[in-house]
Amino acid sequence: MKNKLIGRTSVRENIKLSEDPSYPVFKELYEKQKKAVWFPEELNIQQDALDYHSLSDDEKDLFDTAVGYFCSSELLVQNVLVNSFFPLLTDPHAKMSFSTQLFMENIHSDFFEIVLQSFGMDREKMYDVAFSDPILRKKQSLIVDEIDKISYGQIDPETIEGQKQVLRAILLNNIILEGIFFYSSFAHFFALKDMAKMKNVVSGVELVLIDESLHLQNGIEAILIMLDENPEIVEDTQYVQDIRDVILEGAALEIEYVKHKFGDRTILGISYGELERYLQYITDRRLQELGFPQEFHINENPLRFLQKEDVKKLINFFEVSSTEYTNY
Amino acid sequence: MQRTVIKRDGTEQPFQTQKIINAIFDIIQGLEVEDDYELVFLIMKELDLKVPERVTTEELDRLVLKAIEQLIPKHPVYDTLATRQLLKLINKDIDRRLDGFQSYLEHAFSQDLLDARLREFDTGLLSDALNSGRDSLLGYFGLTTLRDRYLMKNRKGEVIEKPQWFFMRVAMGIGNSNEEVVKIYNKLSKLEYLHSTPTLFNSGTVTSQYSSCYVSVVDDSLDSIMDKVRETAFLAKYAGGVGTDVTRIRATGSTIRSLNAPSSGAIPFIKIFDTLVNSIQQGGRRRSSQVISMQPWHLDIDGFLDLRETTGNGYFRTPSLNTKLWMPDEMMRRIQEGEPIYLFDPGECPELVDAVGDDFREKYERRIEQTEAGKLKQFKKRDSQDFFRKYLFKLAKTGHPWLIFKDEHNRHNPCPEYSVINSSNLCTEISIPNRPDSTAVCTLASVNLSKHVNEDNSDIDWDKLEDTLEVMVHALDNILDKNFYPSEASRKNTMDLRPLGIGLMGFAEALVDLNIAYDSEEAVILARKLGAFMRKVAYRTSGKLAEERGAFQHYREMEEQETPYDYKPRRNAVLLAIAPTASISIISGTTSSIDSYFSNLYSRDTLSGKHIVINRQLIEDLEAKGYWSDEMAGSIKAANGSVQPIKELDGVIDKNLYKTAYEIHPKRQIDIAAAFQESIDQAVSKSLYIDEQLRDNMEEIYLYAWEKKLKSTYYCFIDKVVKGEKYTSNVNKRGSRRGFGATVSADSSEVQAAPEKEENKAELEARAREKFGDEVVDQALQADADSCPTDPLLRKICPSCE
Repeated sequence: MKNKLIGRTSVRENIKLSEDPSYPVFKELYEKQKKAVWFPEELNIQQDALDYHSLSDDEKDLFDTAVGYFCSSELLVQNVLVNSFFPLLTDPHAKMSFSTQLFMENIHSDFFEIVLQSFGMDREKMYDVAFSDPILRKKQSLIVDEIDKISYGQIDPETIEGQKQVLRAILLNNIILEGIFFYSSFAHFFALKDMAKMKNVVSGVELVLIDESLHLQNGIEAILIMLDENPEIVEDTQYVQDIRDVILEGAALEIEYVKHKFGDRTILGISYGELERYLQYITDRRLQELGFPQEFHINENPLRFLQKEDVKKLINFFEVSSTEYTNY
Repeated sequence: MQRTVIKRDGTEQPFQTQKIINAIFDIIQGLEVEDDYELVFLIMKELDLKVPERVTTEELDRLVLKAIEQLIPKHPVYDTLATRQLLKLINKDIDRRLDGFQSYLEHAFSQDLLDARLREFDTGLLSDALNSGRDSLLGYFGLTTLRDRYLMKNRKGEVIEKPQWFFMRVAMGIGNSNEEVVKIYNKLSKLEYLHSTPTLFNSGTVTSQYSSCYVSVVDDSLDSIMDKVRETAFLAKYAGGVGTDVTRIRATGSTIRSLNAPSSGAIPFIKIFDTLVNSIQQGGRRRSSQVISMQPWHLDIDGFLDLRETTGNGYFRTPSLNTKLWMPDEMMRRIQEGEPIYLFDPGECPELVDAVGDDFREKYERRIEQTEAGKLKQFKKRDSQDFFRKYLFKLAKTGHPWLIFKDEHNRHNPCPEYSVINSSNLCTEISIPNRPDSTAVCTLASVNLSKHVNEDNSDIDWDKLEDTLEVMVHALDNILDKNFYPSEASRKNTMDLRPLGIGLMGFAEALVDLNIAYDSEEAVILARKLGAFMRKVAYRTSGKLAEERGAFQHYREMEEQETPYDYKPRRNAVLLAIAPTASISIISGTTSSIDSYFSNLYSRDTLSGKHIVINRQLIEDLEAKGYWSDEMAGSIKAANGSVQPIKELDGVIDKNLYKTAYEIHPKRQIDIAAAFQESIDQAVSKSLYIDEQLRDNMEEIYLYAWEKKLKSTYYCFIDKVVKGEKYTSNVNKRGSRRGFGATVSADSSEVQAAPEKEENKAELEARAREKFGDEVVDQALQADADSCPTDPLLRKICPSCE
């Protein structure tokens, strides 16, 4: 019988690659991630130093919080991956795809660390922000508390219960954290570039976005495969409802956070109203990607400036760091 | 929730939709639009989401601009509206401080921002020549770029120039008489040609540094290296790009006689320039930049190829420098024919540096013979094709070094007695003899071809083009005498040779007007004809100028020595150079240089932020045929800005006309550049756009560029393979898999299948509340006839509309 994607494995197993992989999609995702690899040194972040000092208080706060949030969250993603479900992956290509994701999270940590150093930001404060800010803490807790419950080898992947727990871990990590929370902060960064600020840092974030969208796909594929392999899961309507609820809870926390940040004013030309709608749009997309119906029925991204991320880019090389070369 | 507007004087006022609607109608006025209500409605819909609970008037103005800007990809009319709104903001702001052009001049003089020589002009007369109607020629991206960086700011950092004042100030810094100033102003303000960015920045100001490029040569001595570091610092300070050739610096392991020790080679010295450029680039309006060139037979060439790698020893990496290979024909021949190449130490073989053409080949061969006879201390023998492949791999990976052909540059050197041409500039279009004591300078301007097409689009307006080119020769020649030279070596080169660089932009836009596909033999023929015409007019004008003002000094010196050159006297040793025109083509709202449209929809990253660029010509064409719609815009976006895969358009438009950069074979791109190069006395800077599919053909492509006698290639763009998730269009990642949908659809199929009923008023209201918030809905419910909402949904619940 064919192994499931998630199961008990030993170090002796899954050390052979096959020409005819069980999950070709992970081979493909591995290749894509490999091509996307970049290094922070490619960007001239120092160039933005003057810009940084000319940001308004609101803008600086938004930027600092976003950087701080990513600083610790990129490593959090690693922890979750390594502690909860990575050891249970039974397929060598899936391992390669997720370990490439791990490697890319290093690059991101490295990148945000360089940003932090380049502008003389307060290191302690930055790494703490995700837990010291009361609303950010709620977001982080949603992920951390649940993962704590399911990690440390307490999962039995051979049972449906175990499969369900792993699925939830992947969902929290790759869909809610990387697919909703991160996307909120991406919009803040892109809004900066739209106003011609912090251009080189945001060039790096453009690369982070490409990576994260691949990680999101890792998660979606893993979840869809697990549902396929364990048809019992979708028969448990309470479980399915809980999954939908936790996605919506994540979205609600993020919306609460932007309300707290933007409140009754605009920053960088964007308002709370737009961001709320944007997050609803993103959440709807995540729901649909997993086969759920939409919740908010928003079919158009209200942050239209994000179209600029969707089309081919042409760069005035001597002015802004390029993100258009491939290392391989 | 009632929104509040905070006025400039601090008083508060409830937010009134009608006021903004009126303001938008104001900027629409005079535009030919099908349905102005529709426009206002869409803008208001964007705006509604943007306006927070409390907003200042300034912020509100900006939000209106943002709301319009967001709609630009829908239709060019929003570009016009955004331009008008931005213009309104600029003018409003300046009018608060200044009465008009003359008071601007006074203000700028009093702050010591303008060159005192400008006082000699009749400012009343010039003021009368201003034509603010020409503001409408600017597009949104162009005006944003002008506002951010080109329009002069006072010492408080406030913008004090309106666009037309800016064009006039630039003209005043160039013209020698009132008449000449007006003539130049008219050309610039109609966007018929533009000077290069440093000229636009500095013309007429206290920093009268007009030149774009300097090309210097470093000699093989510590003295010379440190001299050039110092010179570079000053050249860079004034926003010029610096090109520096380092081929003369002896290689790693070469002996330093005075120390009797081996040298650490050229690479560590290059690092000094990297550090320097990086420290000077901060604070200016544009960062300074430098390109380092090296001939590929230099023994340190492998280290040179790695300079732009991002990993490895930081001391051997130069992230802030550009690099290029100054490639001799003999080495290209060896690559083509598979013969080995040899690397030498210029400390041991200094004669190779200056030698060009056959002379180089003979000297190179002699060194090879010595090598084979065991007579040379330092050398490497390499498989030439391995080397070339390694080089092209680096080019594709890091974007550097670019490939420039040493012998083709030198074959057309008009002043070989002055010096050989030692490398080119940053943007690779310069080709001027230079040497350690004479740093080449080039002052550039580019004609906007898209403004030189006959009204009936039947042909180029050759008379107008001739007129523009004549003005350009005079203007550029004037500049040489007004220019500030940051170093003696750069002054010397200009005074000896008086080089000009007249180039071209908007070629692709003009082609579409003329109904000629870029990817066609016709385009190549037109390129050849244009190049020849530019040369004819420029040389004739320079010849006439020589009669009035004298030929360039080196020419006269050769005559005095009775070894004259075999051509007629002219004012300028060289006159033509096709630059990449990155920024000035944005200001002019046209396609860059002689490049094709990059894409029909793309974003462009510049110092003024990121802008969406749409192909206006395509949209107009589609609109005329009734095929332009939001869905079509979506299809083009989904196809990454291409129309080729859109079946619906087969037979509707000529798709060939709208091929994008990666859809045109690099060989065709090279053919067009080569056709221009036949007549351009300096170089054509040509970026190549290579589709990922053709990555394996790079050897063939670059050999072709050499065979077609290009002097220079510039950036090599390779289409990026891995892209992020589409942010604004939905992508089906799930395929036909049902995921969690397996449960949901089993449970709630009834609900989903229920047909949509006619919504009653209460439902409508609830939906509207969800969509717009309570306050808007409450307003709509109380609306009277003058303040009816524009949204169709709100209209349905508005009592007066009912």
